[in-house]
Amino acid sequence: MKWISCLAVCLLLIASCDKGAKSITLLAWSEYVPQKVIDGFEKETGIKVHYDAIDNNEALVQKLLSGASKYDVIQPSEYIIEQLAKLNKLAVLDHSKLPNLKNIGSQYMDMPHDRGNKYSVPYMTGTVGIVVNTEKVKEPIHGYRDLFHPKYTKRIVVLNDAREMVSWALNCLGLDVNEINPRSLAKAKPILADWVRLIRVYDSDSPKTSLSNGDCDLGVVWSGEAAKLWEENQKFVYVLPEEGTHMFVDSLAIPVDAPDVDAAHQFINYCLRPEISKLISDEFPYTNPNLQARKLLSQKQLDNPASYPKGEAKLGTFRDIGKASSDVDALITNLKSQG
Amino acid sequence: MTNGVSVSTLPRPGSRVWLLMLPLLVWVATFVIAPTVLLFIYSFCQRDELGQVVFTFTADNYSRLFEAGMWMVFARSIIYAGATTFLCILVGYPVAYFIGRSPSTQRQILLMLVMVPFWSSFVVRAYAWCTILSDGGLLNGFLASLKIIAEPLNLLYTPTAVMLGLLYTYLPFMILPIYGSVEKLDTSMIEASMDLYASPWQTYWRVILPLTWPGVTAGILLVFVPAIGMFAVTDLLGGARVPLLGNVIQNQFVQARNWPFGSALGIVMLVMFLATYLLCSRRGVPSSN
Amino acid sequence: MKDLRSNSNRLNLANVENGSPIKTKPLIPAGMARVHAILGVWTVAVLAFLYLPIVLLSVYSFNASKWASAWHGFTLDWYLQLPHNQALIDSLIHSLLVAIVTTLLATILGTMGAWVAHRYETRYQKFLDATLLLPVVMPEILMGVSLLIFFATIKMQLGYATLVISHTTFCFPFVLLAVKARLAGMDASLEEAAMDLGATPRAAFIRVILPYLRPAIVSGALMSFTLSLDELIISYFVAGPDRQTLPMKVFSLARTGQNATLNAVSTLLILGTCVFVAVITVLNRRSMQ
Repeated sequence: MKWISCLAVCLLLIASCDKGAKSITLLAWSEYVPQKVIDGFEKETGIKVHYDAIDNNEALVQKLLSGASKYDVIQPSEYIIEQLAKLNKLAVLDHSKLPNLKNIGSQYMDMPHDRGNKYSVPYMTGTVGIVVNTEKVKEPIHGYRDLFHPKYTKRIVVLNDAREMVSWALNCLGLDVNEINPRSLAKAKPILADWVRLIRVYDSDSPKTSLSNGDCDLGVVWSGEAAKLWEENQKFVYVLPEEGTHMFVDSLAIPVDAPDVDAAHQFINYCLRPEISKLISDEFPYTNPNLQARKLLSQKQLDNPASYPKGEAKLGTFRDIGKASSDVDALITNLKSQG
Repeated sequence: MTNGVSVSTLPRPGSRVWLLMLPLLVWVATFVIAPTVLLFIYSFCQRDELGQVVFTFTADNYSRLFEAGMWMVFARSIIYAGATTFLCILVGYPVAYFIGRSPSTQRQILLMLVMVPFWSSFVVRAYAWCTILSDGGLLNGFLASLKIIAEPLNLLYTPTAVMLGLLYTYLPFMILPIYGSVEKLDTSMIEASMDLYASPWQTYWRVILPLTWPGVTAGILLVFVPAIGMFAVTDLLGGARVPLLGNVIQNQFVQARNWPFGSALGIVMLVMFLATYLLCSRRGVPSSN
Repeated sequence: MKDLRSNSNRLNLANVENGSPIKTKPLIPAGMARVHAILGVWTVAVLAFLYLPIVLLSVYSFNASKWASAWHGFTLDWYLQLPHNQALIDSLIHSLLVAIVTTLLATILGTMGAWVAHRYETRYQKFLDATLLLPVVMPEILMGVSLLIFFATIKMQLGYATLVISHTTFCFPFVLLAVKARLAGMDASLEEAAMDLGATPRAAFIRVILPYLRPAIVSGALMSFTLSLDELIISYFVAGPDRQTLPMKVFSLARTGQNATLNAVSTLLILGTCVFVAVITVLNRRSMQ
């Protein structure tokens, strides 16, 4: 009988680990919410935060909808919010519980993907752009056409993200990145097929690694990654592609079946505090939409050309493309398989 | 549960046996067979806009298997896994043979040395190669310091790196089963062959290899199919660029949110697994017992 | 499916030193001595290939520089920082808890299965054997995705429970085989004698059989523990949001290129595995005596 009681104790132990104090579960990009923010929130409210990391939007939707786990706060990008909202998967936010929403700059509010910020609040924004190791690459790089050139074969790292890749090709063609249909994909296909041959690494988690290791000299990466590279060494120059590029708005939202909607609002409001939002900027040098938080940043942070680019660029957000997303996936899967 | 073992007399097969076997059978039925059946069902389903599974019958997932890109994946997977298996036999067989024919104490030590990599996490072992092969890594650093190369060689994120990683990961899985059959090898058989003036090579080809073949087939089973399904090594050493079947399956389940298509690929892999299995077990029969 | 066992010698690792009767003849026939010497050199080279990356990794875990391949002096910093890495510690705790419960469950299921299979020969023996060993020969990625589908279908939250279930499923056959091997060598009169002396069947089992089986059970349990601790592929699919296991954490560290931390963690993991392998080997040897 001894081992039965042993087993019972162990199972109990595990069961108690799973329950316990009040908690929320956060579904966010890997390491995108700094530990300090989580610790601060836990300390202040006594609400424990479970952090589930994903490394792309598709994985977020997958985990959210698989029904295997319930989440309180999720961190989708703009086009995913639109998609989830259309399908009634998001809870309508109670703005009265989010007084800190006023800190967000007006240019980041009421955007096309979520009019009136009914479902989401901006967390961080940023761009997708080109990083050039100017010690290795002497030629000027202005856009995707300069970058994807045979002379840079196997020196390029790009984001492992089908929608992004297709949008770069569409930008090169001067097409709308949100108009995805068989015809536009057919036009993008030969361009992408050429590019796939030049790419050495696909990495969305940490594309900066292969650049700072010297395995790659050029990359199409998130601006925050570029900003970190620039902090590390100013030989890494960030270029916003002249063909136009994606401005993403990573946001916080609450799923419609969130176990604890109140705590979720509490967490979102906490993240919108200027001093907390600054912590996020410290670790993730993206473009902070929280104007009050920007005031707390150092001059050096504000001068980082990847975080706060100067000059004009063609920027556009992504919209929901509905069923076409699986065609985008299939196209890239096939091209990569042949490469 | 202690009641489960209380039997009143010695061996007496009957309905009680099944009762005792029940927990185990239920376990396997629930967590191995039922999920596999579900995988099969899912492979005929559709995905909706959000990637959720809709239970409407379709054979689309299977027709997609015949697209050009997928053929490349299958071909590449079989080539990579086949080459890995072949290299593992080539490299591992002599080692297994040597260990199996060594004196007892030496054998214990050698065996332990092969067991450690066998049991240890393959992520760690594959990752070790990342640090060695990177452009700024140990190998390039070493070669540069000897002035053998001026520019770092591109080693990491190449098919060669993936092959090396696979060989490194699966080598112990080949050595151990071959060792198992070498150890059982009767020395007198070899002696008889030598007495009949067969050269070592002939002895090997005509006597030793057939007798140890069961070990080799076991090794093939342990290397070939897992290598097709491996995604972590190809991700780390191949820069997510050289997709094998495992990478595509993982991608369908984790990123592309197309579970039905992923399931269809899973079924393909299951078929490959069963085929290898049958092939291996048929070839293995004659010499055993 | 019939000779599943002879084909998967990995399963027989528990008794890998078993089955060789005391050798009276020399292992190496006279004409083969030179060949044997060459094989010895080859073996040393292959072992070097297996160990060099691991050794380099361990050495560089003491390197003061975070990135470079160049040696920048000795430091223990990376090890000292590990306890402060909360995410890493959490993943270690998850892994240990899962491994402990898995070991318990797998040991109970495996021992039970082995005992019943040994005591009661049934007509379906071969079928039973094949079914029970299915989880071991099935490619991990297939088990991972099919279990993921299964858990999603029955709406079971991913977390400890799903991890334990999945790990137990591929671990218990190892215990089963280890115990079965020991039982095969047991004298049938042992139990009869106990019963003749008036022991109830239960008492006979607990007082006589279990102690006899102990070494095999312990080595099976240790194998389960090691396997569960190192498992990545299945966990990758069935681990819940906040239940990342240590190998998963290691995989994500490797993907984000956090070399210094990773070198230290990997070194500790390999060391741990070495200890376990040593203990298992010693136990096995004892159990076979």
